[in-house]
Amino acid sequence: MASITSRWRRKDKDKDQSAVSTAAIEPVSPQMVVEVINIDVDIAPTDPLLAYFQESANPVELSRLNLQSPALDELRAAGVAVVVPLVSQGELIGLVNLGQRLSEQEYSTDDRKLLNDLSTQAAPAVRVAQLVRQQQIEARNRERLEQELRVARLIQQTLLPKSLPELADFSLAAYYQPARQVGGDFYDFHYFDDGRIGLVVGDVTDKGVPAALVMATTRTLLRSAAERLESPGAVLERVNDLLVEDIPPKMFVTCLYALLDPKTGRLQFANAGHDLPYVRTAGGVHEMRATGMPLGLLGGMGYEEREITLKPGDMVLFYSDGIAEAHSPTGDMFGFPRMHALMENYPGDPDLVRFVLDQLGDFTGPGWDQEDDVTMVTLAYRQQAAAGMRAVEPGWEILAEFEVPSAVGNERIAMERVAQIATDTPLAADRVERLKTAVAEATMNAMEHGNKYRADIPVRVRVCRSEVALSVTITDQGGGQFVREAETPDIDAKLAGLQSPRGWGLFLIQNMVDEMRVTSDDLHHTVELIMNLQ
Amino acid sequence: MPTANITTNVRRVNGASVIDIVGEVNAAADEALSAAFNEASQDGVKVIVMNFTGLEYMNSSGIGVLVTLLIRAQRNKQKLRAYGLSDHYKQIFALTRLDEAIGIYDSEAEAVSEP
Repeated sequence: MASITSRWRRKDKDKDQSAVSTAAIEPVSPQMVVEVINIDVDIAPTDPLLAYFQESANPVELSRLNLQSPALDELRAAGVAVVVPLVSQGELIGLVNLGQRLSEQEYSTDDRKLLNDLSTQAAPAVRVAQLVRQQQIEARNRERLEQELRVARLIQQTLLPKSLPELADFSLAAYYQPARQVGGDFYDFHYFDDGRIGLVVGDVTDKGVPAALVMATTRTLLRSAAERLESPGAVLERVNDLLVEDIPPKMFVTCLYALLDPKTGRLQFANAGHDLPYVRTAGGVHEMRATGMPLGLLGGMGYEEREITLKPGDMVLFYSDGIAEAHSPTGDMFGFPRMHALMENYPGDPDLVRFVLDQLGDFTGPGWDQEDDVTMVTLAYRQQAAAGMRAVEPGWEILAEFEVPSAVGNERIAMERVAQIATDTPLAADRVERLKTAVAEATMNAMEHGNKYRADIPVRVRVCRSEVALSVTITDQGGGQFVREAETPDIDAKLAGLQSPRGWGLFLIQNMVDEMRVTSDDLHHTVELIMNLQ
Repeated sequence: MPTANITTNVRRVNGASVIDIVGEVNAAADEALSAAFNEASQDGVKVIVMNFTGLEYMNSSGIGVLVTLLIRAQRNKQKLRAYGLSDHYKQIFALTRLDEAIGIYDSEAEAVSEP
């Protein structure tokens, strides 16, 4: 007990019973003058007076004490003559301080006995009052903490994305499980007009409301920086410079920012001290390494920018340290080697998030007291839906798959390659010619109408065969537009000037092949040309 | 702009004009074919024969170009004929019914001698 505050109070004047060490003294009679003085005396823990009171079972007359005690001097100076220590279960819980008797006589033996009885009875009562009060304070604190956690959780959950990007060739999944204390994890997606998607995974140091507020700020800064800046490195640099000025001391944010171009599989990324994502490709599992300081520590930092190009079947795991730093019941940490192995061993089913959670669950055992937030974002380049094409059906074999840049005249490249392949099949020479014309026309349409002759957007061609047929699928990135050629060409109408002389393409294709199928989604338009081999 | 991959040569045979076409008939061939058509039409020539023996590739845009030539020929009361087409392109002419407006012949001799 470092400090004891003693007061005299008139019960009839002051109804407040809550002070820890208040002893109330009733006036003996209305005529009697009772002087009420508030005495605030701090007794240092090292003061010998404290030990003396603790040991003393009886009222102490200060005039008889001979101690080197600052508190004793203070009490004397305040006019205190007798101190009745209130001791409960060996613990000093309060003092009743009395001045000189009004009669200015010494305290008699009876007085001392009375005071002694008083202290004996009052001490347990005061102790009980103290305990009750202490419990009330603790309950209030707990309630306040719970309320804070509710607020923190609310802030985080409100600001996490409500939906996932829906892409034709990529599937995305996200998982967020706050720890009991609510860490500062977050993730976000940015949508750009050109179809690119920004992916953010971050972690604010600290927990609770302060972390949630910094998370909210960081998220907003990232969004506005990403709107104006092209590259992930520049975005992090900008956010860092802004955050450094406002972030509370000793707090910082780790953050990974990646920019995906779904059309090409290009994934640019920069990292502000966040856990390195893993990419799983046909060539194995790799960490996506890019260096950079956490956000909010130092201004003027640069962020290394790297990029990879994802291929169908590749997948990326972004995550927070709540996974790698999870502990088993025996105190082992999950760790990065396990993360790496997990990515290697992932069988492709169930989904990656589920797989990681299952592995983590096996490691931590049931009843895991989750130490930190667990956050994951997974990105998978769909195998079967590569280039928006349908999966190869059973009984079909892919003979070739290639791309042609959308530039005038390139339909001949597609045509010649398909011709070369078709010549090695039982398809008759005249029918190869027909297929060539159809492929050329379909590729022209794809380059012109689908890809607007943008050389950086290729037309994808896949040649498949089964026992009975040859199939050529030609895919462009002009999904969402269904009407390609409005009118059926008619030579008389054209000669009469009633129709454009052009517009033969689709008509030719339909008449060259045995079957034409057109499929379209939001992003892609695919024409499949089928020639029967029998 | 697309680069044309076509060469044309205009000859006079028996009062008719023959346009020898070598290369690709596509959108880019518009200018070359139009110029050849003008040359072939000089002196009031009424029969213009396109020699497709050297045709490497024709696409739907090329068909569109032929249709514009055909419209001009009809306006000028000229006859537009063709020979040297592979079976494949003959089929395409048939499909598009271009063969109803453009006379298809097996040889130059037949194409120029027909009245």
